[in-house]
Amino acid sequence: MPLVIKDEYPEKLFREDGKRLDGRDLTELRPIKMEVGVINNADGSAYLEWGNNKIFAAVYGPREVHPKHLAKPDRGILRIFYRMATFSVFDRKRPAPGRREKEISMIVSDCLEPILFLELYPGTSFEVFIEVIDADGGTRCASTTVAALALADAGVPMKSLVSAIAVGKIDGKRVVDLSGIEDKAGEADLPIAITWYNEEISLLQFDGDMDLEEMNDFLNLAEEALKKIHQIQLDSLKSKYIAIQEEYSEEKGGKGD
Amino acid sequence: MMDVRRIISRIEKNYITSNLKKEERIDGRGLWEYRDFTIKADTIASAEGSADVTLGDTRIITGLKYDVGEPFPDLPDEGVATVMAELLPLASPLFERGPPDEQSIELARVVDRGIRHADCIQTQKLCIKEKEAVYILFVDIYVINHGGNLIDAGGVSALTTLLSAHIPQGKIGDNGLEWTGKYFTGKDIVKELPFILTYGKIDDMIFLDPNLPEELIAEGRISISVTEDKITSIQKSGVATFSIDEIKMLCKKSMEIGRKLRKELNLEQYISSV
Repeated sequence: MPLVIKDEYPEKLFREDGKRLDGRDLTELRPIKMEVGVINNADGSAYLEWGNNKIFAAVYGPREVHPKHLAKPDRGILRIFYRMATFSVFDRKRPAPGRREKEISMIVSDCLEPILFLELYPGTSFEVFIEVIDADGGTRCASTTVAALALADAGVPMKSLVSAIAVGKIDGKRVVDLSGIEDKAGEADLPIAITWYNEEISLLQFDGDMDLEEMNDFLNLAEEALKKIHQIQLDSLKSKYIAIQEEYSEEKGGKGD
Repeated sequence: MMDVRRIISRIEKNYITSNLKKEERIDGRGLWEYRDFTIKADTIASAEGSADVTLGDTRIITGLKYDVGEPFPDLPDEGVATVMAELLPLASPLFERGPPDEQSIELARVVDRGIRHADCIQTQKLCIKEKEAVYILFVDIYVINHGGNLIDAGGVSALTTLLSAHIPQGKIGDNGLEWTGKYFTGKDIVKELPFILTYGKIDDMIFLDPNLPEELIAEGRISISVTEDKITSIQKSGVATFSIDEIKMLCKKSMEIGRKLRKELNLEQYISSV
């Protein structure tokens, strides 16, 4: 039997004043908040709020590989497990991981592997668990971003961070950072991630239709947005250590009095 | 980073037990004290109710979803509530991936029974049409960080989630199922608030709210759920045995501590105002 309320597709994705339904301009990002070191038990962790998306990521490793046959004698392996909580979406998601979750896990893994020095850790694994507890469009980009942050928090040697964003087309206009409703009702969606050490694209998917000129424009829009996201990642990593430093200097100051 | 291992060293075990003998805990608590609770309600936009609860280092996020389905034949005018628990591998190196194991099923079932037998959820309110359509509520508990005593934190988390509920009210109209435009809230569906209190036992020492190291070396534990004036469920687990006098003592303690906790947490404040 169906649920009582269905989330209906809106007729228009722009308001009368030309802004998007949530009040944003075409190239404006949703509010983004990142925090590292949120899960004590993990070797590294991060939490991200991106619009209504709420995502945790935790890193364990380097540790023993289970099952053992996956271990590689000359290098470590990276395993990503992207999962969504049952209550993170409109219709309750089944608890067991589905095809979509497995695909996204693989994509995120492919995107993060190039930044790590896995050859330094033969026979071990790094496991990154990503849990989406509230979803509102763009979770694969948000997950990639937060997973990179968790790896950095774990102190895993990295060439650089990875940042990701979705750009797309809604009601014929090119926009940045599609919300859940824009993603569903829009015409095109292009998630894209960049590895900063070589400034190359490590995740790229596309559904929709576009011409050559649009494609160029999309890539330019994404580049601008990715820089902003990278800065937020860097700031959140720094803020953990700034907080420690402040705590330490307060303690020191206190004792001196 | 907290030090988490499957095995607690003998020295640490001796330290914990010798402290317990002096009625002291390694984190400075007394034998019958809880760690601090923090509670945030309705934090998940996609859920019809949710809670983010911490108890010391333990952090649990619970969300409520619903579906409309057919009632059980023997209870034609009652809705259904189920509790599920996920011990996310993200929360601790002790948790493994894969389908729910014994530990997560026990957590879900103890919380479920604590709620079910206490007249907590008003299942008759969750009926849309007798024999045809009732609400099925899913209370899904996700452990985000494991710092010991998941059961008590899970119980508070499930209660807060139910209280913060805002479930669209349905009716059977001309075109089948329709939304009335109103919402059920925690006020409508929750009556009793049962608290679950878990005690660990090491040798003959018993203490409330085991933290992770205590839990790892405990031989067993007992969880007692209480409402304002009744005991509503008990679960003993682990290899420890309890004397009859100990159980009597713990039941009495649970009533007292339960009343105090009920007052302190004042969960009614989290009832949704939709």
